[in-house]
Amino acid sequence: MKRMAFPIAVALMATMAAPVQAGNKLIAKQQKVAVAKSALTVMPDREWNKMGARPGRNSETWTIDGDGLNDVTFYGGIENDRTLFREVSKKTKPLPHFSSTMLLTDLPSLFENSYTIALDTQLMTIDAVEPTTFLGAKGIKFSFTFTRAGEEVRRKGEASAAIVGGKLYMITFEAPDVYYYARDLPAYRAIVSTATLGTRGPK
Amino acid sequence: MTATHPALAKGDTVPALPTYSAAYQPQGVDERGLWMEMDEAERAMRDSIAVINDPKLIQYVREVVCRTVGEDRCRTVRVYIVRDASFNASMAPNGMMLVNTGLLLRARDEAELASVLGHEFAHFELRHSLTGFKQRRTAGDIFAWAGVAAMGAYRYGGTGAYQAMRTAQSVQIGAVRSVYSNSREQERQADLLSMAYLRTSPYDPHCFSRIWNRLMDEADATAHGRKQRSTRYDRVSFFATHPTDLERASYLRTIADGMNKTGEDDADRYRTALAPWRSQMLADQIKLNDFEGTDYLLKGLAGDIWTAPLLYARGELYRTRGNPRDLIAAASFYRAAISQDPANAEAYRGMGLAQMRSRDPGAVETLNTYLKMKPDAPDRAMISTLLQ
Repeated sequence: MKRMAFPIAVALMATMAAPVQAGNKLIAKQQKVAVAKSALTVMPDREWNKMGARPGRNSETWTIDGDGLNDVTFYGGIENDRTLFREVSKKTKPLPHFSSTMLLTDLPSLFENSYTIALDTQLMTIDAVEPTTFLGAKGIKFSFTFTRAGEEVRRKGEASAAIVGGKLYMITFEAPDVYYYARDLPAYRAIVSTATLGTRGPK
Repeated sequence: MTATHPALAKGDTVPALPTYSAAYQPQGVDERGLWMEMDEAERAMRDSIAVINDPKLIQYVREVVCRTVGEDRCRTVRVYIVRDASFNASMAPNGMMLVNTGLLLRARDEAELASVLGHEFAHFELRHSLTGFKQRRTAGDIFAWAGVAAMGAYRYGGTGAYQAMRTAQSVQIGAVRSVYSNSREQERQADLLSMAYLRTSPYDPHCFSRIWNRLMDEADATAHGRKQRSTRYDRVSFFATHPTDLERASYLRTIADGMNKTGEDDADRYRTALAPWRSQMLADQIKLNDFEGTDYLLKGLAGDIWTAPLLYARGELYRTRGNPRDLIAAASFYRAAISQDPANAEAYRGMGLAQMRSRDPGAVETLNTYLKMKPDAPDRAMISTLLQ
């Protein structure tokens, strides 16, 4: 049965690949850029690819080698009572909502629970938690490990987050533990270190 | 294992146990192919990081299977405990049995676990997956197409594209499971055969309807908490593979009543065997963002006695939802947990954070107690910052 379907699948993908570029965009290095339709700006120290598809309303994902290999995701001001990203199924698997009354220590749990539900996995842990200054505010920095359902690939990640004016700002990085995580962590940290919150409103 | 079984219709009495032949080998192209795929899946499962590798727990669950279906039958079974908070168990045609931690958390005693595992074993003995496989050969094609559709959506960057890509994985798993999901008639047959196992086992046959009744109540609680209408238990939807839960619970109870047999539930032995994993399972359940379903589950597990771990779990549940009234309730659950178990540092942490979020000045003292009790706490620096 698989043998029959496979050539069709390949043929279909080949025809689709040619004309469409899906709105992915190259991000130049050493240039200040506003991200996630918000006042959040960063200056990367290398080139990145901005993915055309957004995880949610106020967010966007960058990658170097492709989605799933090295993803940096910007959350540009998640408002009170909103989910971190788009719901997989609002009816059967509703995601937890961010609340502006949350303590910084609640953010890793919010992130962990959202991933656990969206990725259908119980294999997620928050590894280390420490205070940080992020966007000029008191923030939290945490690292995590997870494995998606049906996959054996161990992924690691890091995140920095702060609540500014009742909104959640966060930049996360995730990559397979093998090879990619260690290689691309410095490029992610370079982005985080240049992150600032401008006064300019969303475009 | 006998080759054919007379189909059992509703109202049929519990069958006598069929003769069982060990070391059955697959016959014909379909069955051999199916076994080959399952053998491959089992190889992957054995080393999967989603499997809980605790020899004692695995051995215990195996013993429950053996007490249920008898020594002869259980010899072929290999048990794998999967870390998955949903209520499920399944058995592949080659004798690989998967048991979710969500089932272990929800069963209240050994007899309830036995009834569900006996049911899965009945599917295996009746070789239901083979029939399902033949009928649903096309599911494999659906599996491939779902992957293609997700790729397409991603490339076109359309609405929901990100999601389609992210969930392609679960679509595939869903399709794989669908190959092996059973028809309603098969479910009924397996129910009846599992009642036959229970009749010869040391367990109380009423346990099966008990666990189904509770599952319905939990689903009701979940639906209520999510402001959804509760599922209609009395109607069968066109695509439903299982008998309606209400119908199932009532015919299982009728059969059990008819057996005129009582038996053990072995609740103490069950509690002891699961004790090392309880907290982990509760933590996994709390992450699911199912407040009312989880609260129903916790109340059920507690019965009349709220133990410290259950109180702590309830505190975590309420603190996670985090409405102002939840934070007050959470603090009181943690406090009750601490009064039973003063050495529980995590309960001090939860209580302190709940107090801090509701701007209770008592938070400082509680969190300082936590830091004193756990000098090497991984979040020491973060908590200290909160206290400044």
